[in-house]
Amino acid sequence: MKEAPSNPEQVVPVLQIADFLLVPIQIDLDDKTVGLLQEQLLKEIARTRAKAIILDVRMVEVIDSYISYTLSETAAMARLMGCRTILCGIRPPVALTLAQMGIALGELSIARDLEHALVLAQAP
Amino acid sequence: MDLEKLEAILASQSHEFDVVVRIAKEEDIAVARQMAKKLAQEMGFSLADTTKVATAVSELARNIYRYAQQGRIMLRKKEEGKSGPSMEIIAADQGPGIPDVELVLTKGYTTYERSLGIGLSGVKRLMDSFAIYSAPGRGTVVVAEKRRRRF
Repeated sequence: MKEAPSNPEQVVPVLQIADFLLVPIQIDLDDKTVGLLQEQLLKEIARTRAKAIILDVRMVEVIDSYISYTLSETAAMARLMGCRTILCGIRPPVALTLAQMGIALGELSIARDLEHALVLAQAP
Repeated sequence: MDLEKLEAILASQSHEFDVVVRIAKEEDIAVARQMAKKLAQEMGFSLADTTKVATAVSELARNIYRYAQQGRIMLRKKEEGKSGPSMEIIAADQGPGIPDVELVLTKGYTTYERSLGIGLSGVKRLMDSFAIYSAPGRGTVVVAEKRRRRF
């Protein structure tokens, strides 16, 4: 029996390390892409039963209100699936812009860097 | 008079600007953001201010796409003025218009389901000046400006 074509559009690479997922985001997040990203991440979380997911946004140059909304929504959904979402690598100008706009990204755990994110991911 | 200002901006010609991006599809939001970033870099804006400009344009372009379906993002270098060079950002559409401009500038207010309601108030905070002209049935124009800072 053949598996149903379940290949969603892969927008980012997802690396599984022990019981968490590491996702380097190295693409420009336009509105369509950010929707596909959410879809892909939720599928990966369900498939791997990961307990944490790390989103590395070092390469992301703009995080606007819609990207913020979708990342927060994804984290809320992941949490309901028993998975913590950790964001790391926010660039200083992006942090400045988000702070000035009043966007707090409260649904996500924020890590200083990848090393810190790995520590948070392994926390009980 | 706000209505006159609105009509005048809606009637402005593309050649009066350095960059004009027509917003009609979702992908145009990212295009506008890239073009704004490029112009800010050309003008010698700091990385922080370039990011603020690109983010603000992203918000304005998305508002056009969501609420008016189509419109224009127009960017212009302004060299004159005692405060040095600045970038003028205009978002113009002939959509439904905004009945209560004060209300849409309230943080957290949105009529769209998947939104933080922070776009327009965020743009206002990111820019040095910000004005909005709107009339129901006529359209909406946002005029914002960001000065180049020297460090």
